[in-house]
Amino acid sequence: MSAREEILERLRRKASNVEMPGAWQSQRNFPDLAERFTASLTAVRGEVRRAENLEAALVEVGTILEEVSAKTVVANNESPLSDVALAERWPECAWHIVGQSSGDLREFCAGADVGLSGVEAALAETGSLVVHSGVGKSRLATLLPPVHIALVPVSCLAPDIFTWTASRNQEAPMPSNLNLISGPSKSADIEFTLTLGVHGPKRLVAVLYE
Amino acid sequence: MTATLSEFRQRAKTAIEDVRLQGALDGGTGKLWEMRRLTFEELPNSDALRDHFKAIRSATLRNLVEHLETFEKNATAAGANVHWARDGTDAREIVISIAQEHGVKLVTKSKSMATEEIHLNEALAEVGVEAIETDLGEYIVQLAEETPSHIIAPAIHKTRHEAAELLGRESGRSLSPDDLTTLTGEARKLLRKRFLTAGMGISGGNMIVAETGSVVLVTNEGNARMVTSVPPVHIAVVGIEKIIPTWDAAAIWLSLLARSASGQPLSIYTSVITGPSRAGDPDGTGEVHIVLLDNGRSELVGTKYEEVLQCIRCGACLNVCPVYREAGGHSYDSPYPGPIGAVVTPLLLGRENYEALPHASSLCGACKEVCPVRIDLPRMLLELRADQVAERTIPWKERKAEEAGAFVFKHEKLMRFMTNAARLAQRPFSRDGKLHLPQRLNPALERQLPALAKRSFREMWKSGELEEK
Repeated sequence: MSAREEILERLRRKASNVEMPGAWQSQRNFPDLAERFTASLTAVRGEVRRAENLEAALVEVGTILEEVSAKTVVANNESPLSDVALAERWPECAWHIVGQSSGDLREFCAGADVGLSGVEAALAETGSLVVHSGVGKSRLATLLPPVHIALVPVSCLAPDIFTWTASRNQEAPMPSNLNLISGPSKSADIEFTLTLGVHGPKRLVAVLYE
Repeated sequence: MTATLSEFRQRAKTAIEDVRLQGALDGGTGKLWEMRRLTFEELPNSDALRDHFKAIRSATLRNLVEHLETFEKNATAAGANVHWARDGTDAREIVISIAQEHGVKLVTKSKSMATEEIHLNEALAEVGVEAIETDLGEYIVQLAEETPSHIIAPAIHKTRHEAAELLGRESGRSLSPDDLTTLTGEARKLLRKRFLTAGMGISGGNMIVAETGSVVLVTNEGNARMVTSVPPVHIAVVGIEKIIPTWDAAAIWLSLLARSASGQPLSIYTSVITGPSRAGDPDGTGEVHIVLLDNGRSELVGTKYEEVLQCIRCGACLNVCPVYREAGGHSYDSPYPGPIGAVVTPLLLGRENYEALPHASSLCGACKEVCPVRIDLPRMLLELRADQVAERTIPWKERKAEEAGAFVFKHEKLMRFMTNAARLAQRPFSRDGKLHLPQRLNPALERQLPALAKRSFREMWKSGELEEK
């Protein structure tokens, strides 16, 4: 008998049907999602910049690129970035637009100063960003560079993880890779002292726009 | 790996005498405990949430076969390869054959209890495959050629001086123990090189979700993202009990896991892997393998120990355990230390090898209270002890002594006689209400037991003096 059959057979003999409890209803009722999101992300050393609209958000992005003296930037080709002429707007940086630029994406990401992305959703309770893999969406762009800037429309904020999973489209397949990002990379493995940027980005900036 | 009574006692004694280790254990576990308390305070209705979660875990285990089959179907549909392993031998063979098929020489690993349980790194080394741990704490422990001593803080026993020396030796630079930013930066550089050159990534799985065939990994450092995104092949080794039917239920697991483990509302990175890269994905892994590990788990289903399979490996019970906090993780000599380890280790890795562990508890119940799944560990510790008595695996001297003790307690007159005799016998050793026994006779090791009171409770009760008070 194969290992599979052996294990399943043993479990089958002991199985019984017990009713599975239903979904847990979110107990959160935040008066202002953006405010809670900002407080939560800031509490774990993430950064939030607020902007009135997409144009103002892009101005913020420019400010951050200048702050970190970014020379090389990798950008996911997704909403809202795909509608922005990034390389024309910031010609002083070398750009890799995922899926469009030629050259090795992985190598570029490994040497890039900044990764720029959009998000699929964001969770107010925990200050989390939801990013997917997919066409134009690189996993490495939000992982390898020391700085990750994400453009987050206020409209995509969900109160918490329970409302987020409840709103999941069950028909749409899961992407190969989905990440909830809830702060900059950190470790407290040496004497419980916090350090940032162990493997992932040292800085995470969410630019939250209306 | 074993923990006999004398081994555990000896290791615990060494740990208790190590002043620095005691400080690290107190500070570390105390901090995690306090942070846990604060995040649970902030979570509305958290007691009801834990009850709800327990009901889900319990119902899932009752019908594990259905959920595993659903998982297999959905993971396969997403393009992952699902393997089944009866035990460590099966699992090691599966992983080694995949590594050899791809000509892999270097593997990067994200922290995984299951692979520690089956000694995967050693097996890979034997066939010439180097496996590098990438969690900072695990990496330091690996460089020191030691084993982790806490489920979520594997290097809780190492100082920054030791970390600086180990990382310095590896990078060929002298590193200051007082500059943690540089120290971490050096580890980042060392491991970044490994990530980019490894032929394969190996992870565990914090959970697997049946409805989508996904493997879920949580880290704070981002190493699980590296291990599962950078190398061309990814293998996840996961215990069969780590399954959850739906995403609605998975959300509860995630919400309770990070809060219980480290007092965070969520870990920094929650990574969900559903099969290999799709057509059009700009990067990612070409192949995903999931090894479903039994190794004794299915034997526990339907027994009085089934509840232990509800564990989500948060480590909260370690932080509150008076025995773990003194004896430290290495006393247990198991990948699973602390109260959960005291129950799960004998059950999965052999009761004969770990006879001391059911006794490594004061039965205070703090573990049950703090557990996100409210697992009744004290009950199972007692069950394991009862099994030892029934199977006569405890030493005959101890058994006879217990039987004699029970006999005395059952007979009042005899009890009174023995108490009076003991009161006489203790005279030469009794000072300031404490027993100063010679070390050889002292069951409490370094501490002094209180001496028997001059008058017993019964005597005081009879004389009426208690009422006056």
